[in-house]
Amino acid sequence: MAEIVEADNYEGIITRIEHKSRKIESLLKQYKPVEALKTALEGSPPKTKDERCKSANWIVVHRAIMANKDVDSLFSALDPEYYDILMKYLYRGLSTGDRPTCDQCLRIHEKLTEKAGLGCILRCLADTVNTV
Amino acid sequence: MKPARKSKDKLWASTHRVTIWHLDSRSRFTGKSMAATSVHKFAQCISCHAWSPDLSMIAFCPNNSEVHIYKLSEDKWEKVHVLQKHDQIVSGIDWSYRSNKIVTVSHDRNSYVWNQEATGWVPTLVILRLNRAALCVQWSPKENKFAVGSGAKTVCICYYEQENNWWVSKLIRKRHDSSVTSIAWHPNNVLLATTSTDGKCRVFSTFIKGVDAKDSAMGNSADTKFGEQIVQLDLCFCWAFGVRWSPSGNTLAYVGHNSMIYFVDEVGPSAAAQSVAIRDLPLRDVLFLSERMVVGVGFDCNPMVFVADESGLWSFLRFLDERKSASSSAKYGSQFSEAFGKFYGQSKFSASNNVEQSRGAHDNCINCILPLAKQRKSSVTRFTTSGLDGKIVTWDLQKQEDLLDYL
Repeated sequence: MAEIVEADNYEGIITRIEHKSRKIESLLKQYKPVEALKTALEGSPPKTKDERCKSANWIVVHRAIMANKDVDSLFSALDPEYYDILMKYLYRGLSTGDRPTCDQCLRIHEKLTEKAGLGCILRCLADTVNTV
Repeated sequence: MKPARKSKDKLWASTHRVTIWHLDSRSRFTGKSMAATSVHKFAQCISCHAWSPDLSMIAFCPNNSEVHIYKLSEDKWEKVHVLQKHDQIVSGIDWSYRSNKIVTVSHDRNSYVWNQEATGWVPTLVILRLNRAALCVQWSPKENKFAVGSGAKTVCICYYEQENNWWVSKLIRKRHDSSVTSIAWHPNNVLLATTSTDGKCRVFSTFIKGVDAKDSAMGNSADTKFGEQIVQLDLCFCWAFGVRWSPSGNTLAYVGHNSMIYFVDEVGPSAAAQSVAIRDLPLRDVLFLSERMVVGVGFDCNPMVFVADESGLWSFLRFLDERKSASSSAKYGSQFSEAFGKFYGQSKFSASNNVEQSRGAHDNCINCILPLAKQRKSSVTRFTTSGLDGKIVTWDLQKQEDLLDYL
């Protein structure tokens, strides 16, 4: 699977992320933060080793994470298939050391752990290959 | 040769089911008869254990260089033998069903085959030719070979040479990129599955001329050379532990340190794999109770039951010990509140932390699970687990009505 993405040109991935970013902005204007987060998490490029792609996608996901102020309604609408990838981005957020980002990530992290269990954290920490 | 997951949705369908069962189990399974029928603390810590063929004796390593053998007489466990020959922790014990031989391996890189004679247990040294610790051992189904997994990235296949009165070790080299954590014999006595800390599960042929006879029961695997790799399963991206074949040898199960369990059907070029994500802490070892039911044990201290439906789709069913169903999410909540409390130096977070910690059968990581049966059978209802808490627990599913359908 990794080879397929690697063969894909980075510009293609960046273009997709830019397109995603515009879609997220319009969703946020319509007050649909959960939809925005789902869009941001979809098609995340964990399989590529290119840091530019990872950073570009992180900026988009970060925007969507920060927009979700109501954590309870976030989890009533977020499907379990997003849990593992969201957890990975939460840890990326925590690693930035930025105060507002960390506060928001910790808030979501608490709820996510309640929902998805410790297994979700383990899957995120143990996977050193598919990083975000 | 990389098998594709049947579908990506499957993984998540199963995860979702985990969550649902978790909530259900509170009302459904409390007050049921206990699945754990006996709990006995033998030592501070147990690294591995094995049963005698008639199930009257148990051999275990109390986390040192000795192997203790206990016998059950009049409902009391009595120490009958201590096997002292290894210099370091004994990491694997297997007691053969038919020939009544014990094989032990240790971090001291040696292996001994113990024979019971009038004077007691007599050891025979098996030269493994390893430069790292031996980690696991298992007799082959016909008991003419045994396999040893090691930290030297190799697997030793040992067999007895009649003319020299000597156990010979043949190595499978340069196939593993890291320590071999677990091994499992296919019922055909030729195929061997291994898991490794490089995250891969591999299947090898161990056909040895003069030891294995070519017969039709082996199918295609009889044509393969010793050490040939049949398949490499590349599903897990972290340490893999605990591999087992189903009683028929049609399905393979292994676990990863990322809280996942993997089921592989039709092992070979066209293998079909399923991954099931677990809500809780990772597993260390697995056991097939039947073709459709698997018990996984590990860091959660509570055996987990996985079952396959009619279509062969695997999912988590429930925990076997009651404790977990009572307050699992509440426990996580309080653990995190407590952590947050430490974070902010406040006490309000930990004030509501008086969740009763009802103790289950095990109270530390379980690292070994074995069937309790006098011969290899297609389904077992009784099995034992041992772990870092030094306890050996016997489990009986005879009274667990919801599980009997899967046996």
